Amino acid sequence: MMMEYFANLEAGLQAAINNGNASPRKLYALEIARLGKRLYSGQDKVAWCGITAPFDLLNAMGVTSCFVEFIGAMLASTGTVGTFLEETDHIGYSSDACSYHRAVSGAAIKGLMPEPALLIGTTNPCSGGLAVLENLADQFHKKLFVLHIPQDESRENVAYLAGQMRDMAGFVSDLTGVSLDPERLKDVIGHTNEARAIMAEVYDLAKTAPSPLTNKELSNFGIVMALFLGTEASVTIAEAYRDEFSRRITENSVDAKNEKFRLLWIQNRIQFKNPIEKLLSDSYQATIVIDELNDITWEPIDTDNIFEGLARRSISIPFNGTIQNRVKHLQKLALEYNVDGAINPCNWGCRQGTGARGLIDEGLRAVGVPVLNLEVDCIDSRKFTEGQFRTRIEAFVEMMDSKKA
Amino acid sequence: MGKSNFIGFACAYTPLALVHAAGFTPCRVLPNVDCPDQAAQLLHDNLCPHVKRILDRAMSGNLPELEGMIFMNSCDAMRRLYDAWQIVRPDVKTIFVDLPVTASESAVAFFRDELQRVAGILETWGGTAITREKVADSIQQYNQLAESFGRLRHTVQNGGVANGPVMLQEACNMASCEVPEKAVGYLETLLAKPGIQPQEDGVPIYLFGNILPEPEAFSLFEACGARVIGEDLCTGSRLFKKIAGDTSGGTCGDILLDLAEGILSGQPCARTFDGSQPGRLARDIVAEARSRNVRGVIGYTVKFCDPYIARLPGIREALKKEGIPFLFLEGDCTMRSVEQQKTRIEAFIEMLR
Repeated sequence: MMMEYFANLEAGLQAAINNGNASPRKLYALEIARLGKRLYSGQDKVAWCGITAPFDLLNAMGVTSCFVEFIGAMLASTGTVGTFLEETDHIGYSSDACSYHRAVSGAAIKGLMPEPALLIGTTNPCSGGLAVLENLADQFHKKLFVLHIPQDESRENVAYLAGQMRDMAGFVSDLTGVSLDPERLKDVIGHTNEARAIMAEVYDLAKTAPSPLTNKELSNFGIVMALFLGTEASVTIAEAYRDEFSRRITENSVDAKNEKFRLLWIQNRIQFKNPIEKLLSDSYQATIVIDELNDITWEPIDTDNIFEGLARRSISIPFNGTIQNRVKHLQKLALEYNVDGAINPCNWGCRQGTGARGLIDEGLRAVGVPVLNLEVDCIDSRKFTEGQFRTRIEAFVEMMDSKKA
Repeated sequence: MGKSNFIGFACAYTPLALVHAAGFTPCRVLPNVDCPDQAAQLLHDNLCPHVKRILDRAMSGNLPELEGMIFMNSCDAMRRLYDAWQIVRPDVKTIFVDLPVTASESAVAFFRDELQRVAGILETWGGTAITREKVADSIQQYNQLAESFGRLRHTVQNGGVANGPVMLQEACNMASCEVPEKAVGYLETLLAKPGIQPQEDGVPIYLFGNILPEPEAFSLFEACGARVIGEDLCTGSRLFKKIAGDTSGGTCGDILLDLAEGILSGQPCARTFDGSQPGRLARDIVAEARSRNVRGVIGYTVKFCDPYIARLPGIREALKKEGIPFLFLEGDCTMRSVEQQKTRIEAFIEMLR
């Protein structure tokens, strides 16, 4: 089912691009389809991972790697997730857990998760994700390597995590029979740095008022691009976005009247088809100019100290450490992008993200940014109550409007 | 030393011996204290009641006078508790201790350095200088406490003490807010009391989970006909565990490394595991149940606990494969929820008779 889905997606996108209907989003989606195909091909050495795993390092070792939540999001976007969530109900996996993780577990029960060669868990961002990786390792009788991501970037912590990543490379090598080629790694990290620099440009362009992007264009971008880091495709995608946004700004093709409100989207988007983004743009002229995870929080990786650079990057993800780090980052984004408000989809079951709802609220209020907390399950469309969301959004927009006046 | 000598803590992974070595008294901030629900102002409803009720206590001022508070980075919920604590109780100093999820060599070394950092902070909080000898002495005292608890638990679980499970939990709660030397003395007094003819009329049960500090809960299990003859709870047997290593007080070896290894490699909470042995928690529970020859297993966790939520299907499956009946209960750190489970416990025990 998934192989067919990704193959069809790739074919459709490729045909559209070949027919002259290319867009940055299509190039991005094409790469997702290709990754999906590789994951389900049965040919590749696959690693199921945590979100902050060093995917470029794994790419350098010829391992097709992906964080498990990607599959939950894919199942949600295809509208099939309900069946898989029900599977987890049957085995007593509480519906209080994160639906990303329940969906993945359901997919594994139904035989829809490709058998990995190995698994790489990460302690950041959450306990639930790590637990699911342990379960998958148990189910597939495969080995799991755990990266303990320390809480801050002290010299000792960086050295500790860099050491773990070196051990991880040895672990991967032992299980795949592929050694890490230092020259290949340097090339891969070169691509990482190149993509990083261009992505930073993309995010900078998004700060322009009116913003050159539409509400959908950069959804899930930062978190998914991590999977492509180290590849030429990541550079191509980032370039396409940069060039398109630059063109729109240069040609004044964005009507300022269509951007009455500028919004910050906290954490992840809602993954199933829903009318919120369209409602915001069409009914309220509200543009999501920045997503929390669409930011570069790490320095270019020094090719003479690659593992230390990778370690710093994993530690720098705003979900890591105390909530003060995360709030500080959100405040920075709110000010840099000059937002009027923020939307926080409080994914039911997300302890690390949603758990801090009140603290985030307080932190953004301190810089004059109101927050709309939406009680939602970002994966399970069956729980989506559109009418209530419309009412809440309408009230939020009215409040932002009166504040502007 | 400042206004009090209590250092609060909320997790069984807390290095109690280190706190004690600094001249402080570790004091577990338990959630089972009645105070108004206010935590939702800062924390989402989907966070575990353990942390929410501790935050309720902090917000209500319903805490002993604390010199400081130690938070372990044991799970997402505990991290969020630390975050919220900074806002509601800035007057209470805090330490946030990073806690690896595995006991690998590098993880133990990292945790050892965290303990070194904690020691330094405790000294700045007015604690006495922490020397190797002092840490070794404190570990020995906690080992003695673990040993005394082991004997008391054995006696209670064999039915040799009237109202034993309730008394055992009360003793555990008391010891979690007392220096080990006093706690050992108290336990020895209990052990010296004349026992009763062992009662074996209850159905033998193995109990695992996390937060269940209410002595009344154990009374309820008894009233329902269950006899808990083995237990693995973080408010119970996981709290005081023996630390191996050279605790002689000599100058050899790295005592903090021993302490780090001892804490990380003890009987684990679901949040700690070994990547090379995935699913081990389920196998351990089966092994414990088998070795104690119990007729059933009860799991009790607080709601919204991700580390247990994710592992429960595997535990359920492993017990089912072995033909061991299993009852799972979720609570909210109040006796209200335990009472609601009474019918289920009774039915489960009835089924096992």
